[in-house]
Amino acid sequence: MIPAYYEFQNSTKILSGSHAIEHIGYELAALGVSRPLVLTNRQLLDLKIATMVLDALEDTEASVATIYDNVPVDSSVAVANEVARVYRETAADAIIAVGGGSVLDTAKGATIVLAHRANSLLEHQGAESLLGRRSVAFIAIPTTAGTGSEVTSAAVIKDTDRHAKVSFQSLSLLPDVAILDPRLLVKKPPRLTAATAMDALTHAIESVSCRQANPLSDCYARAAIDLIREYTPITVDRPDDTSARLALANAALMAGVAFSNALVGIVHAMGHAAGGMSGVAHGEAMALLLPHGMAYNLDAVGDRYAAILPSLAGIDAYAATPQAERGQAAIDAVKALLGMLNERTGLPLTLGAAGVTPDEIPEIAAVALDDASMSMNIKQPTYEELVTILEGAL
Amino acid sequence: MAAAGWRVKRGRKALAAVVLWVLGRGLVASARLDKRVRFEVSSWPDPYTVSFLIAPWGPRVSWRRKSSTLTCLGSVKVDSDLLVTFKSVDVALPALLGAKGILDAFAEHRLTVRGDLKVGMSLIRCLHIVEGYLFPDFVTRRILPRPAGRKRSHLVAYGALIHTEALIVAKAEPTEETAA
Repeated sequence: MIPAYYEFQNSTKILSGSHAIEHIGYELAALGVSRPLVLTNRQLLDLKIATMVLDALEDTEASVATIYDNVPVDSSVAVANEVARVYRETAADAIIAVGGGSVLDTAKGATIVLAHRANSLLEHQGAESLLGRRSVAFIAIPTTAGTGSEVTSAAVIKDTDRHAKVSFQSLSLLPDVAILDPRLLVKKPPRLTAATAMDALTHAIESVSCRQANPLSDCYARAAIDLIREYTPITVDRPDDTSARLALANAALMAGVAFSNALVGIVHAMGHAAGGMSGVAHGEAMALLLPHGMAYNLDAVGDRYAAILPSLAGIDAYAATPQAERGQAAIDAVKALLGMLNERTGLPLTLGAAGVTPDEIPEIAAVALDDASMSMNIKQPTYEELVTILEGAL
Repeated sequence: MAAAGWRVKRGRKALAAVVLWVLGRGLVASARLDKRVRFEVSSWPDPYTVSFLIAPWGPRVSWRRKSSTLTCLGSVKVDSDLLVTFKSVDVALPALLGAKGILDAFAEHRLTVRGDLKVGMSLIRCLHIVEGYLFPDFVTRRILPRPAGRKRSHLVAYGALIHTEALIVAKAEPTEETAA
């Protein structure tokens, strides 16, 4: 069904595949950039992954203004403010972010501070409230497949003073260019690969069931689910398979486009809270909470779950399932995938296995209720319903 | 709602101003009558100012939580900690008149939010309660996520619109009522 009204934007130019990074000189010239700041972390330099980007930059007309490699695993508002300060001091004219979701979101935070001449990123919290063109050219080069941040209009950055994750959402956060080069995709341990793939799957499935779901975001979500179903087992079993890693990176990107335009819901709200309160890794929180969130939403969006069953379980499974049971079958397909990943990688299936204790559930539920993602969920749970869902996942 | 000439637009803005006046008083009235609203407002930072604005120049309505008091500031221009802006009067009216839920308006990009989205979520829960007092049941059944759960009658709520201030209580643990 077509929504009464929807909006969709994906203006990011996408470069994917062999020798993609060698196009960076052309892209910088096209953007009119001559002094990019390279944002990354120490580990990626040590692994010689960020170095590949620096090598590619040597063969361009641009000269690197500086390399900022102090982005922590869980970046913060303070780091984004600091990057903006360094950008100004070095007279840079673009940001090239090389890394995972933390690095990319830090870059987005810095572009907000720079574009709006803000003293702190916190001055610009909100949703769709950033107006005016972004004044900073921005190239995103993901080194992991999961967040899809290279094509999303959202950034989640920690406010260490309040011990809370702060959301920023604006189309002006979309990077100008996203580069997926298989050589830059970090080979990860199987459990981490599984968790990040499930993060992308959660983006795709929640985008389909959220209030902002629309025909275009649905297309990206289904294509992402197709790739995740096919390539997650391969990548887990053969971490050296670069083409499978690139396929998963493309899946994460497509899921990113989907949720950037349709947003996410209850699974992310609970996962953000579990991460903030109990330190559950984001991808693992998404994985273990996804079937529970889907079960809660089933009576409202069972038809939408049914529509993605061919992508989740294959067309034969879809054809063999009676229409009324297809929504539940989609949830069962997610559980089957989780079970397989648990067997092969040790991915936790419960909050308890991920380190959450029963006495933490009430606070996780209270925080989840206030998470902005909850507003886009198709159903609005009560505090008691959230406690029940979380206890079911314990 | 069809695109309109300036006379119709002006009429719609006048209507929106009246509805925002009622909404402004309605939040205060609901805080006086319903502890769920008092609980929500008491969780906001102190002091804290919330505004609804219809772009680009108004009408608008604002509230200030300061210490243990929630005050409706009416249509005066103030610096807001949380600013909810409808993109035009034409897209604001369906949400303000109960033809569309506030979450659906948000999902359809009809409004923007500047400020802490955590407080924004609390404000949405408050508005759902306020709509329960201001709108008849056949409207709230369509736009609210669950039954309004009024503690007092519509009549009492409308009577309470004469007030511009409400006392709120200190923050407590969430209960079934506060989370509804």
